[in-house]
Amino acid sequence: MGKMKDTVLKPIFKGNPITVLVLGICSSLAVTVELKGALVMALSVTIVTGLSSLVCSLIRKTIPNRVRIIIQLVVVALMVILVDQFLKAFEATYAIDKQLSVYIGLIITNCMVMGRIEAFALGNKPVPSLLDGLANGLGYGMILVIVAFVRELLGSGTLFGYPVLSALGYVNNGLVILPPMALIILGCIIWVHRSIDKDLQEK
Amino acid sequence: MNTNNNVYTVIYTTVVCVLVAAILAFVSQKLGPAQAANEKAETISQILTAAQFGQKEHWQEIGNAETIKFFEENLAGEPVVTSTSQLKALNYRIRNGEQGIELPVYKFNNGISVVPVYGAGLWGPIWGYIAFESDLKTIAGAYFDHESETPGLGGKIKDDPSFRAKFSGKSVDFAAEKPFEILKGDAAEGRDNAIDAISGATMTSKGLSAAIIEWMNAYKPVLAATTEE
Repeated sequence: MGKMKDTVLKPIFKGNPITVLVLGICSSLAVTVELKGALVMALSVTIVTGLSSLVCSLIRKTIPNRVRIIIQLVVVALMVILVDQFLKAFEATYAIDKQLSVYIGLIITNCMVMGRIEAFALGNKPVPSLLDGLANGLGYGMILVIVAFVRELLGSGTLFGYPVLSALGYVNNGLVILPPMALIILGCIIWVHRSIDKDLQEK
Repeated sequence: MNTNNNVYTVIYTTVVCVLVAAILAFVSQKLGPAQAANEKAETISQILTAAQFGQKEHWQEIGNAETIKFFEENLAGEPVVTSTSQLKALNYRIRNGEQGIELPVYKFNNGISVVPVYGAGLWGPIWGYIAFESDLKTIAGAYFDHESETPGLGGKIKDDPSFRAKFSGKSVDFAAEKPFEILKGDAAEGRDNAIDAISGATMTSKGLSAAIIEWMNAYKPVLAATTEE
């Protein structure tokens, strides 16, 4: 049971895919302008990593070693397209899918998804693989939401589209909206994370 | 079992691909109608927003069914809805200088007519709808959408209501070579058929300007002819 707990908690804190492994930062720059988009992206990535890890783990003993990357890619692509299709089909999520546009499709290029399949799912049983995938997605999503929180608050003065700072007469900072600012915020998060967790610092 | 065998590898890969293709085809078949309905409602809500029947958020709040109902009740004539891909096809024909293309005009009961525009922004296609008063010259309102313009800069053509508001009250001069322009700086000041561009989004503004010029020229026979009657 302790091992299971570790599988779930490690990707969220000590082995966070973004702040520690620095995987999947490309999309975290693109979709963090607004909280709503970041939240949907976080959920989509969590579902994709979880299900792809599960499926790859289920078929791990049958995959021919020489084409294993291709098989992983096909499985991940399947999950990504399914998520995209479902988002498009529901009235409530259609507008958000439209806003995230290409970035949902680009989950397939997120190094984190295939990284977890290679490193974990191919050598572990289905249930731990599913948990590992979901936990990595959540670890990724958590950072995404933090960055989006800062960017939407300082860039547009709103949270989830509701005026917060803009109601107090705050003048929006255009720089925060642009992608480089996501990188700076991400740097700050990594800095804070490393200061708190001394194990992560290089000797 | 030897999973490194060539024959095994080929058969395995083929089976996986066929299986995945079958799943995707099935899901696409099942979800297709729902997606098309969402897309249609989105287009309709853009047309209605341009025609000043309400803000874009309003249509999202009342939902797809109510939006389509409102559209059909207030439309004079046949409700033909052009999807973005159909606009793209039309744009291609307009650009090639094809004559006698059947162009869509949405005429509403209160005299407002809406026409689409389509063109290229900085990163991808941009399109939108321009609503005319009953004189078919004065602009009542406009709504624009884009695929991937920079949020906060080019994205303002969609997200910034004050940019859209600049169109209201202006008019399209069908006699001019450039019926309507989006210009930098003070160039637009005092002109009836030009508005100020978005600062920081030169390429998107230019693209939108070019799209409007191209489409208005194409619409000249349709709109200008009706005015003279």
